[in-house]
Amino acid sequence: MTSPDNEPEAMASSPDKSLSQPESGRPYYMQEIKPGKHRAGKTFWQTLREEFYADNSFTVTLAAIVLALFLGGVLMIIGDANVRAQWGYFFYQPLTTLEASWDLVSQAYTDMFKGSIVDPEVLRYWYWNLPMPSGNIPTWQTALRPLSETLTNAAPLVFTGLAVAIPFRAGLFNIGGQGQAIMGAIGGGTVGLALSLPAALHIPLAILAGALLGGFWGYVVGLLKAKTGAHEVIVTIMLNYIALYFLIWYIRQSFADEPTRSDLISKPAKETALFPKIFDDSLRVNLGIVLAILAAAGVAWMLKRGTFGFELRAVGYNPNAASTAGIKVGATLALTMALAGALAGLGGTTMVLGTAQNLTGEVVGQIGFNGILVALLGRVKPWGVVGAALLFGALQAGGAAMQTFSGISNELVTVIQAMIVIFVAAPLLVKAIFRLRRSPVAAAQAALAKG
Amino acid sequence: MRGITKRFGDLVANDDIHLTVEPGEIHALLGENGAGKSTLMNVLYGLLQPDEGEILVDDKPVKIKGPSDAIRIGIGMVHQHFMLVPVFTVAENVMLGAEPNKAGFLDHATADRLVREVSQKYGLPLEPDAIIEDLPIGIQQRVEIVKALTRDVDLLILDEPTAVLTPQETDELLSVMRGLKESGKSIVFITHKLREVKAVADQITVVRRGKIVGTAAPTAPESELAEMMVGRSVILEVPKQAAQPGAPVLAVRGLVVADDRLHRAVDGVDLEVRAGEVLGIAGVQGNGQTELVESIMGLRPSLAGTVTFLGRDITDWSTREVLRSGVGYIPEDRSVDGLVKEFSVAENLVLDLYRSEPFGGRFALNPKAIDESAKGRVEEFDIRVQSEQQPVGALSGGNQQKVIVAREMSRPLKLFIAAQPTRGVDVGSIEFIHRRIIAERDVGSAVLVVSSELDEVVALADRIAVMYRGRILAIVPPGTPREKLGLLMAGITSEGAS
Amino acid sequence: MRTTRGMKLIALAASAGLAFGAAACSKPPAETPGTGQSAGTYKACMVTDTGGIDDRSFNASSWAGMEAAKAANSNIATSYTASTAMSDYDPNLANSVTKGCNYIQSVGGLMGDATKKVAGANPNTQFSIVDADNLGLKNVFPIQFETQQAAFLAGYLAAGFSKTGKVGTYGGLPIGPVTIFMDGFADGVAHFNKVKGKNVQVLGWDKATQKGLFTNDFVKQEAGKQQSDTLVAQGADVILPVAGGAGLGSAAAAKAGNYSIIWVDADGYETTPYKDVMLSTVIKNSKDGVKEALSKAAGQKGTLLTGGFLGTLANNGVSLAPYHDFDSKVDPALKSEIEALKADIISGKIKVTSAAQPK
Repeated sequence: MTSPDNEPEAMASSPDKSLSQPESGRPYYMQEIKPGKHRAGKTFWQTLREEFYADNSFTVTLAAIVLALFLGGVLMIIGDANVRAQWGYFFYQPLTTLEASWDLVSQAYTDMFKGSIVDPEVLRYWYWNLPMPSGNIPTWQTALRPLSETLTNAAPLVFTGLAVAIPFRAGLFNIGGQGQAIMGAIGGGTVGLALSLPAALHIPLAILAGALLGGFWGYVVGLLKAKTGAHEVIVTIMLNYIALYFLIWYIRQSFADEPTRSDLISKPAKETALFPKIFDDSLRVNLGIVLAILAAAGVAWMLKRGTFGFELRAVGYNPNAASTAGIKVGATLALTMALAGALAGLGGTTMVLGTAQNLTGEVVGQIGFNGILVALLGRVKPWGVVGAALLFGALQAGGAAMQTFSGISNELVTVIQAMIVIFVAAPLLVKAIFRLRRSPVAAAQAALAKG
Repeated sequence: MRGITKRFGDLVANDDIHLTVEPGEIHALLGENGAGKSTLMNVLYGLLQPDEGEILVDDKPVKIKGPSDAIRIGIGMVHQHFMLVPVFTVAENVMLGAEPNKAGFLDHATADRLVREVSQKYGLPLEPDAIIEDLPIGIQQRVEIVKALTRDVDLLILDEPTAVLTPQETDELLSVMRGLKESGKSIVFITHKLREVKAVADQITVVRRGKIVGTAAPTAPESELAEMMVGRSVILEVPKQAAQPGAPVLAVRGLVVADDRLHRAVDGVDLEVRAGEVLGIAGVQGNGQTELVESIMGLRPSLAGTVTFLGRDITDWSTREVLRSGVGYIPEDRSVDGLVKEFSVAENLVLDLYRSEPFGGRFALNPKAIDESAKGRVEEFDIRVQSEQQPVGALSGGNQQKVIVAREMSRPLKLFIAAQPTRGVDVGSIEFIHRRIIAERDVGSAVLVVSSELDEVVALADRIAVMYRGRILAIVPPGTPREKLGLLMAGITSEGAS
Repeated sequence: MRTTRGMKLIALAASAGLAFGAAACSKPPAETPGTGQSAGTYKACMVTDTGGIDDRSFNASSWAGMEAAKAANSNIATSYTASTAMSDYDPNLANSVTKGCNYIQSVGGLMGDATKKVAGANPNTQFSIVDADNLGLKNVFPIQFETQQAAFLAGYLAAGFSKTGKVGTYGGLPIGPVTIFMDGFADGVAHFNKVKGKNVQVLGWDKATQKGLFTNDFVKQEAGKQQSDTLVAQGADVILPVAGGAGLGSAAAAKAGNYSIIWVDADGYETTPYKDVMLSTVIKNSKDGVKEALSKAAGQKGTLLTGGFLGTLANNGVSLAPYHDFDSKVDPALKSEIEALKADIISGKIKVTSAAQPK
C-alpha cells in the first residue's frame, strides 16, 4: 500500500525524467542504501534506542497499544464510583487519589495478565505442589489455562482477520467476514450434528463444508463485484444480515433444532466432529489454532510465491495494468472473495466445533467484525494478522478474568480493542503524542519498499 | 503571467512561461495532453503554487494562494471534470461556497433570482430548481459557467470544455464564448482541437512539453498549428534498411469501437499490417487511436467489424489469449496500464508471463527463474536499477518504459503493437527503444506504432496511416511532405475538408 | 515430590512467564487445605447465564439470594460475572475458581455441562446450581423446585374461580421446566372436580398424554395472545401462560377479553404492568434457595455441603402468590380450601407428581 507521504514522489517519478542525473542529484530513494552505514560511531544500544523511538510500524503499533491501555485505565477510573468520588478530593488528598486510581487500574491490568498469559500465584502453588487458598491443588492444566484461553479466542480471529487481509491486498474491503463465518458455522455445524462418521472422516468433512459454504458466501460478493460492479462493502453488509437471519431460521428447522430446549439452539454436534483438544479436555485450546496457523502460513506463501497471489496483488495495486497484462481482473476478484469467505467460514466452523458445539444465534460471536480490526492492526499481512489475533485473544481472555477478579465490565476490552485500531489507523496522532522520529533505516526501507 | 515555472519533483510541467491575456479576448491555449496547459491554469487559479515567476493582474503582481483569492481578483475556472454536487439543484450549486443567507438559513429566493439574472444577462438559459444529475452534460457545463459568472469574474478559464460535449453542444458553447467576449469578459480556452480554436480564438498560444513553442493568429492554417502542437523540435534518425514486407499478420476490417462515453471513437477502420513492416498511425491524440489499439488487444469490446491475426479471427479473444498467441503490446500510458509501480522490477518483467515456464506454473511462482531472467534483461535492455527487487515506481520514466519494452520483447512475437512508445522518455531511451522496434521488424514481426509525435511516426514507419475522427483518412509513404501530413492530421484531404 | 519438582522447574523456565516464575518461586506460607481463607471473608461468586444479571427472572432472583445471604452474614463477600455467550460459561466459572471463590453459583440447567467440567476439576470448591441436579459430583449443591406443588394450588384456585367451568393453559415449548407447571395445574383442577363433584375442564394440556398447546416461542406476545384467544373462544376464563414474555400477549388482552391470568415464576402483580388481571402467580423462589445454600455453605466453611435445596410449599421454595386486587373477588371459602390443601401437600397427605419434577 502506498502511504500518503510517499505519493508525491511516486507521481513525480512518472513522466519526463531525465536518466542522466548525477549521483548526488538523485532523490533520496534512488540513492544506494548501504546497510549499517548509519550505525557508524554508535553503540548497539544507541542504535537500538534510536530504532525504538523511530516511527516504524512496529513502534507505532506498540505505542497505539500503550495509549489504548492508558485510556482504558482512564475509563476504569471514571467507571468506578469510589475512585471517581475520590477525585472530588483531589486537591485535598492528591496522593490518596492517585494511589486509589493506580491501585484500581494496575489491579485490573494485572488481572488481565493473569487471565491471558499466566497467573504467577497459580504457578507458585503449582510448583510447590501446595493447595491454593481455595483448597484445590493447582495442576499443570490450571497453570496453562490462561494461555489456552488466549489461543482459543485467537484461532477464529486469525481466520476472519485473514478473510479481511487477503481481499484488502486485492483492493477489496471485505466487511462480510461475519456473514461468511456464520455460513461456515452452518456448514461445519450441520455436518457435525447430522452425520454419523468416524472422527477421521467427520472432522475433515465438517471443515470442508464450513469452508465451502463460507467460500460460496464470499464468492457471491466477488461475482457481483466483477459482473455488475456492485460495491463489495454494501453487498457484504447486506449478506451479513441475510446470513444471520438464515442461521436463525435454519436452527429452527426440525432436523437441526434441539427438541429439549426452548431457546434458539440446535442439537449438539456429534463427539466425532468436535475439534480435538490439544492438551487435555479441561483446556479448551483445540485443533482450530493449529488450522489457523497453517492457514496463515498458506496465505503468506500464496501472497509471496503463489501464482494466484501474484495476480491478486497486481489487481490490488493496479487493475488496469493487470488487465493489460492479460490477468482476468473479474475472475481474480471473485476467487479472492471466495478464498476470503472460505477462511472466514473456517473461523465459524472453529467456533461451533471448537468451543460451542451447538449452533445458536450468537454462535460466531463478533469474530467477523473483530476480524476487520485484527486485519487492520496486523497491517493486512498474514503473520501480522496472527500477532494481532493473539493480542485480541489475550485481551478477551484477560477481560473475562478482569470481570471476575476486579468486577470491571468485560465491555471495556471491546473499547480498548477499538482504540488500539483507531490509533493504528491514525499514526500521525500516535507519532505526535510520543514524538517519534523517522528512523534513517526505516526511511530508506520505506522508500525502497514504496507502496 | 511572467516566467512561470512549476516542477513536480524532476518533472518540469511549466518551464518559464510568459502569457498575456488582453481584456475581452479569447485566448486559446493549444497543446497535447500532458503538455502542461492544465498545470499552468491551475497555477493561475491558485490550486498550485508556482516555483518561479509571478502573476500580474492589471500590471500589478498578485499572490494567488487559492481559488478564493483567484475569484476575489476576478479569475474564474471551469474544470474539465465538473465540480458540481449531483443531487443539489442548479441554484444550490451556483451558490455553493457563497451562499446568500438570512440569519443563517439559506436564502433560496435570492439564490434563484441571482441565477436567473446572470443566466439572462449572458444568454445562458437555466432552470434554477433543476437537479444537476438530471441535466445533460452541456447544461451542467453551463451551470459551471454561470457559477463562475455570478462571482463577477473578468477572466474565465475553460479547461478542455469541449472534451465532454457532443458536436452540437460544442457549437453552442462556442457561441456562448463569443457572447461572453462581447460583454467584455476575457477567456482562456484550453483545448487540443484545432477546429474550435480557429472558430473562436483571437490569439493562440501553443504549449508543448511545458514550454511555449509559439503563438499564432487564428488565421494561421490548421496544418501549421498541428505541426506546432506535435512538434518537430527533436529530429529523429533511426538507421534502418528498407522494409521487406511479407504476408499480412494483422487485418482490421470495418472496426467500430466506443469510447468510455459511448461515442463512436473508432468509426469503421480498415488496416493491414504485414510481417516485416512498421505501420505507423499518425494523428492528433483523441482521434480514436487509443480505442483502436485497446480493441485489438481485447481490452475494449468492438461494436462491429473484425480483427484477424494470422488468419484467425481474434475479435472476441481475451487479452491473455491475444498476448499468448504472439502479440507484444506497449500501452500508451505506462503508469496506468503498463506497470504495477509497487511491484519490483523483476515482477513487472513477468507481469504477463508469470504463468509460463520457467517463471511459474499453475500454483507457484519460481522466484529464482524470475530473478535470473530479470538480471539478464536488465542488462540486455540497459535498464538502470540498483536491484531487480527495487519497486518500478522508483525508476525514471525512461527506465520504466524500458521495463515494459523488455517484458514485451522477450518472447517470440508475430505482432508488436507500441502505443506512444516513447512518451515522457529521455532522448537516450527513445533512441534505444526505436532501435529495438526496428530490430523486431527486421526479424520478421509485424509492427504497429501509434504515436502523436509525427517525427516518431515518420522515423519508424514504412507506411503511415493518418487517423482523424475515428477513421483512417489516408495511408501514405514516409516520404510524404510534412505539410501534407499536417493537413491530413487536421482532417483535410487533398480533395477537400472532411 | 523432589523428582517431579525438578521437572517442574524445567517446565517453568520454558514457560512464557519466565520472569514471573523466577519472582514467584519464593515459597508461600504453609497452608493446609480448607483453612487458608485470608481475612476471614468468604468469597461467593455467581456466574449468570446469557440472560444477564437484570433478566427480571432467575438470574436476578438468584443474585438477590446471594445479596440476602450477605446481608445476613457479614463474613460473605459477593460478586458476579455476566456471561454474554454460552461459550463464556466455561472460562467464567474457571476464572471464578482462580479468583479463589469459596462458593460458585451457576444459574440455570444450561450451565450444567460447564459446571460439571469445572467443578470436576476443582473438587475442593463448593459449587451450586439452580435448576439442575448435583451432576454426579460431591461438590455441587443442587437447587431444585417442586414447582408442580404450587401449580396444583393454582389449578384448584382456577377451577374454583372459573365461572364458565373451563380453564386454559399453554406453554412456550414442550420441555420439562414448562410442563411441570401444566401438570400441577391440571392435577389441581382434577382434584377440585373430585372434591366438589364438578367437571371443570382444562383446555390446552392433557397430563396423561403430555400433549397440549404451545407457542413455540418465549418472546412473541402475538403468539401468546393467539393461544389464549383460542382457549377463550372455547370458553376458558382463567389462563395460565407458561411461555415467558409471550404470555404478556395474553395478559395484555385479558381485560378486554374478560378473563384473568395466573402468572408464573415471579409475582406478575409486581413484575408486569397488568396488575388488574393477575389472579395469582405460581412462584418459584430461586432467591430463597440460593440464600439458603450460600448461608449454609458460609456457615460450615471448609466442608462441602451435602444434599441439596428442594423448593417445596413447605419451605416456601415454591408458593402461590397473594391475590392482590382479586383478594375480595375470591370466595373466602375457596381461599381456606387452598390453605388446607397447601397444608395437606406439606404434610404429605396429598402427593403431587409430574414427569418433570426433580428426582
